[in-house]
Amino acid sequence: MIDSPNPGPEILDSAIGEGPADRASGPLHRHNEKRSLILCAIGAIGGLIIAGAGLFTAQGTRIAGVPPEDIAIVNQVPILMSDYVTQLQANEGVGLSQATVAQKRKVLDQMIREELYVQRGIELGLQSDIIEVRQALVGAVEAQQAVDASATQPSEQALQAIYQHDIVRYNNEGTMLLDDYIAPSLVQAQATVAAIRGGEPITGAVSTHALKSSGKMNDGQEFYFAAKIHLGDQLFKVAEGLRAGQVSDPVVAPDGVHILFMHQNTPPVPAGFDEVREQVLANYRADKVARMQSGADAFLRKRADIQIAQGFE
Amino acid sequence: MTTPGIRRFRLGLLLALICVAVLVWWDHRSVNFRTLVMRSDPDTLLDDASVRGTLLSHGRQVFLAHCASCHGEEGKGDQRKAIPDLTDSDFLYGQNTVSQIELIVLHGIRAGDTKGWDLAEMPGFAKKIPYTREPLPSLTPDQISDLVGFLRAANGHGGYALDRIERGRKLFTTNAGCWDCHSNDAAGDPSIGAPDLVDGIWLKGNGSEADITETIEHGFANVSPAFSHILPAYDARSVAVYTASLHPPVKRASTS
Repeated sequence: MIDSPNPGPEILDSAIGEGPADRASGPLHRHNEKRSLILCAIGAIGGLIIAGAGLFTAQGTRIAGVPPEDIAIVNQVPILMSDYVTQLQANEGVGLSQATVAQKRKVLDQMIREELYVQRGIELGLQSDIIEVRQALVGAVEAQQAVDASATQPSEQALQAIYQHDIVRYNNEGTMLLDDYIAPSLVQAQATVAAIRGGEPITGAVSTHALKSSGKMNDGQEFYFAAKIHLGDQLFKVAEGLRAGQVSDPVVAPDGVHILFMHQNTPPVPAGFDEVREQVLANYRADKVARMQSGADAFLRKRADIQIAQGFE
Repeated sequence: MTTPGIRRFRLGLLLALICVAVLVWWDHRSVNFRTLVMRSDPDTLLDDASVRGTLLSHGRQVFLAHCASCHGEEGKGDQRKAIPDLTDSDFLYGQNTVSQIELIVLHGIRAGDTKGWDLAEMPGFAKKIPYTREPLPSLTPDQISDLVGFLRAANGHGGYALDRIERGRKLFTTNAGCWDCHSNDAAGDPSIGAPDLVDGIWLKGNGSEADITETIEHGFANVSPAFSHILPAYDARSVAVYTASLHPPVKRASTS
């Protein structure tokens, strides 16, 4: 007999006080083996059942049937129950419980037909041929990014920080109320300005020196943007700097010599956060969409295999 | 003859089998319940005593997780932010049916989802381009003031000169284009989400001169997110049922 360098099972059993003879004869040990086998078998059967159930009933497999949230599955593409209820209401003007069998069947047939045609369109590669389909697909992918962005709700603190950072962006429109006159000549305009600044009432001074209203500011009080459109950049720049009760120096413009008399001037000021919160939120989301689109562009380009003809790189 | 160890083993095995059976039964019951809910007419669920309690309870959990951050835990909204009160009888979109609410939950309002609502928004008339979807004229401060006078008077507030009210009414029904969404009688149009302006319930602010002026000057277009890619269909339906239940004539969901 050759001595083994490793102790055999007998030696180990002896070391723990249970020899092979005890093991063979002990009922407990026999049952332990049996128990192990039973547990093994249960485990194996359980595993097979779970694997089989997963394999044959997973979503998308035909044997799983139509999931509760769908009304039909067409080539593994679900038609949603919520879409069906909406379509039923839109096409037939009835809810699910009021619809007749014929109405239900009609709408379902329409939806199945639509799905089949969409799938057929993809098979035919219509997305490569038809401009409207291409535009719709591009728009849909972009819109999906907007959907994802709209589902995120920034904290009030984050919105406040954005508002504070871009506070000038949230200025109210200023308003002004002014008279704009055209003088027959520069001399007349200068005389009128001098008279008004000397304390003469504006109506009297204007009448004396034969000035006429330009007609540009006949709407009364105007927002800054409107005044700028009506007066033009040159006159608006002058008007912006006038305070209530001030008259401008004569302004020589292509259509004549103007003088401006300011009745009221309220410059733009930043609107309060509460006033523009939705705008801040909209800008936050627009920025997020822009960032997501930029990221998506980069990702799509990175994973795409794009070859460009020589000379057009 | 059986030893205590074998008896314990058999007992353990039996308990394990019972647990598995209970789990299978529970899952089967749960799937059946969800199937029943999803295959039913959504507009009948609130009246169905067999599903109502479970849906309200689950719907509230979904509401707290996904809607309460804007609409508040009790669905009262926030007039300061133009977030609608879901517990009053003033419906901005549709008529508070479960199917209509479910559509909003799944596809949102102005959320970029083409199945959702996105038919109109409130223009800002103190802007160079008040509305990007169709041409509308900017208004002067005086014109906006006339509109405010008309709307305040239409809501029962006195002290406005008749000529101002008349100018405002004329603007409302002609050049300003307000009638196009809010109707000639200013009663709104729930099919496009245009609020009733003469019912004394205000979406934004409290109907003061300052609030109405601010709304007309700057406009707004709030967004309700689309949850179709976030919420399972059953959750969306549950929260729609719960939200519909917040309407006064329907018994409120238990919050306990």
